Amino acid sequence: MSEVISVVSRNGAFQKTMIMEEFSSDESEDDYNMTGSEDEEEGEEGAEKSSSKPTSKKSSKNIDSELMTPGELITSDPIWMRGHGTYFLENDTYSSVAGRVSKVNKLLSVIPLKSRYAPETGDHVVGRIAEVSNKRWKVDIGGKQHAILMLGSVNLPGGILRRKSESDELQMRSFLKEGDLLNAEVQSLFQDGAASLHTRSLKYGKLRNGQFCQVPNSLIVRSKNHTHNLPGNVTVVLGVNGYIWLRMTSSMDLARDAPPGGSTQVSGGEASGRAAGPTGAVSLNPNASLSITRLEEESSWKIYSDENDASITNQLKQTISRYANIIKALAFCEVGITHERIVLGYEASLAYSDVGALIQRDNMEALGADVLNAERMRGNAE
Amino acid sequence: MAKDIEVSTAESQFILEALKQNYRLDGRSFEQFRDVKITFGEELGDVLVELGRTKVHCKISSSITEPYEDRPFEGLFFISTESTPMAGPQFESGNNTGEDEVLISRIIEKAVRRSGALDIEGLCIVAGSKCWAVRASVHFLDCDGGFVDASCIAVMTALLHYRKPDITVHGEKIIVHPVDEREPVALGILHIPVCVTSSFFNPVDAEQNIKGEENSEIVLVDATLKEELLREGVLTVTLNKNREVVQVSKAGGLPMDAMTLMECCHRAYDITERITDQILAAVKEDIAKRDKYSAILSSENAR
Amino acid sequence: MSQFEVYSPEGLRMDGRRWNELRRFETSINTHSHAADGSSYLEQGNNKIITLVKGPTEPALRSQLDQTKATLSISVNVTKFSKFERSKSTGNTKNERRILEMQTALVRTFEKNLMLNLYPRTIIDIEIHVLQQDGGILGSLINGITLACIDAGIAMYDYISGVSIGLYDTTPLLDVNSLEEAAMSCVTLGVVGKSEKLSLLQVEDKIPLDRLENVLAIGIAGAHRIRDLMDTALRAHAEKRVLNASKR
Repeated sequence: MSEVISVVSRNGAFQKTMIMEEFSSDESEDDYNMTGSEDEEEGEEGAEKSSSKPTSKKSSKNIDSELMTPGELITSDPIWMRGHGTYFLENDTYSSVAGRVSKVNKLLSVIPLKSRYAPETGDHVVGRIAEVSNKRWKVDIGGKQHAILMLGSVNLPGGILRRKSESDELQMRSFLKEGDLLNAEVQSLFQDGAASLHTRSLKYGKLRNGQFCQVPNSLIVRSKNHTHNLPGNVTVVLGVNGYIWLRMTSSMDLARDAPPGGSTQVSGGEASGRAAGPTGAVSLNPNASLSITRLEEESSWKIYSDENDASITNQLKQTISRYANIIKALAFCEVGITHERIVLGYEASLAYSDVGALIQRDNMEALGADVLNAERMRGNAE
Repeated sequence: MAKDIEVSTAESQFILEALKQNYRLDGRSFEQFRDVKITFGEELGDVLVELGRTKVHCKISSSITEPYEDRPFEGLFFISTESTPMAGPQFESGNNTGEDEVLISRIIEKAVRRSGALDIEGLCIVAGSKCWAVRASVHFLDCDGGFVDASCIAVMTALLHYRKPDITVHGEKIIVHPVDEREPVALGILHIPVCVTSSFFNPVDAEQNIKGEENSEIVLVDATLKEELLREGVLTVTLNKNREVVQVSKAGGLPMDAMTLMECCHRAYDITERITDQILAAVKEDIAKRDKYSAILSSENAR
Repeated sequence: MSQFEVYSPEGLRMDGRRWNELRRFETSINTHSHAADGSSYLEQGNNKIITLVKGPTEPALRSQLDQTKATLSISVNVTKFSKFERSKSTGNTKNERRILEMQTALVRTFEKNLMLNLYPRTIIDIEIHVLQQDGGILGSLINGITLACIDAGIAMYDYISGVSIGLYDTTPLLDVNSLEEAAMSCVTLGVVGKSEKLSLLQVEDKIPLDRLENVLAIGIAGAHRIRDLMDTALRAHAEKRVLNASKR
């Protein structure tokens, strides 16, 4: 019985002649071959599988966007520069994560299927204040480390271009305190990958009048615009980090959409006449007299208010929760979350009168399928 | 070993560079075990083991008690390891839950107690109601690496050296004879486990270690404290003279080739053989020394 | 030894396996997508284990902050109902020496395999819940952690696969269950990828020195098999995710 597996020669000697009957029976060969190249350094087994795996020397399409798992040899070609998700020994480059190979010019990297949010300069993110410290706030943006928001990178009451005084430093908590949500832009990255944020535009700043909602960051695709007005007087801020804020549409939101061509959903057409300021700042109240500078008005204490507007109706609150549930459903189906899909989801969700019913498993699946179907139909129609 | 003491960057580079050139700071070869010095105290079962600068003391004591309900035919055997700041600043007094303390005590426990080195059935006096409880208290007095190895030698030597008072059983009644009245009896030792610790160093990159085929890792037997602080992996093998592996523990650390680990085990066996002989000889010598006294006494009486 | 025959003359074990067969090995990945960054659920025979990986994140305590690499912390929660008989101990199992030893071994195993230097000033927190245990638990924990860490997207050099092998007389038995574990000496291995490098090696009972090599050989082969099974599961999971992504 006990077959002696001797350990005579060096490499590969241990795994001779092992037959795991149990498994060889219930797993089809195809299945196994699909997994492909995992043991380049082993002569015998490697040879068996070489038919199914791309010859590593070939640097053409077949290793591009191929699925890699940790420890797997990507290529033995030394021409590649090694990027994220890889490590190398001499000429061989190995994957260190499970994901797809990406090649940009001569840079070879493996993008993991899922990982924590890695900030990039220019990202529009939603964050939560974690800590108030010396001249800076630490902001949880769902990344590996907290982002830094310097006191100097925010708009303070009384105008953007004002110097930060000592009294500002002392009353930092009255602007933003622990737990406050804000949206901001990644200004720069530190050496270790931590982000430095700024809110020096009126589209950034403290968030209110709405609800927070979180999805995996991989579901949000970076795009030109991350703030969208939705039907039902709701505005969504899709943070690239997967943090989402749903709020009542403010007049500023309406104004923002208006100038570049007038979105159909925008009802406040009269706002379209007013051009955005150089910072993208648009007057909160388009009808106000222009005698005082807009900046001064915008930078008043109001932007750090903790009070929600009294004008939010129950109906609107319902709509906001409906959107939140739609986003949860889309996330559940692992569908990328875009403005269009949220709108499609909203239309499909109107079939359910009870907002709470949307997050039942069946309904979430149905909704996800509906959205994808509707998208396909629309795509065909065009 | 401990986080609190650190080797400076310059010194650690010096030590590692020396290792790469096949030198150890104390002049030993890589496979050389430090000399073991065994000293006995006045009482039986009182042993001080010195391994280089490392000092470990072990004292055996025994009492009569009730056995566990589910094991009526077995006596009790405890090993308690105590590390105090006396041994080095890295140890806290009263706190034995540090990573290293736990590992050390677990390995000794597995090597000696779980392997059945002591015949605990022989400690039974009256099944279910009376048995001997033997306790080995290990104290770390000074630390220069190799705690596990030294304590294992100390515990085994002490057990071999210890004599428990003789008893006679009359039904439920037990008479314990004082040591000066009747010759005390030795404990039943079934085998002598000896621990040998090997430390691993990686002279190359982590990538080379994982994917390379050179197996260029450095293996040191019986590391000193500084080497212990710098090592990347550790393997403790416990063997006895019957060519039995009693316990092996490589709790993570640098991945090592299976063949290299096997070599470590085989090398450990040679050391085990030597140390076992040394332990037995030392115990025999000391017991003989104590006996000489009574031999003279008895001859006088016979006259 | 027991009323069961550990290994019959026909070459069958108590549960009908042969000496070189693994137990049923099933896993799901990304089971707790909202609670953790990476998660896995593993069934290896009757071992049932949930693993959650949180991080890399900002450490809660200053003491956990390392300027050069991520801090790795692993906590193992062995539930009281995980064994055939409910655990009688009243205290917290987390402070048992056996558990502490296991945690230390796991931390030291993965410290060398995860590329912690890529995540300075952060903490990676791994939480394991053992719902059911049936022998060879340490090996299963290793497998669970490997999968969960891959799911979390944490860079690592290679898979680590764990398995326990028993030695019955002269026959090594692969992937022991609890009855076998109680009846004979066992060896637990943690093997790196498809290599013959052992990250973890534990022998808790007497084994003849000259048989050890044999046992290791079987163990390494078994661990490679487990690596393949994990790889297959991971790829199946990844394909599914990619399919979803392509719909975007």
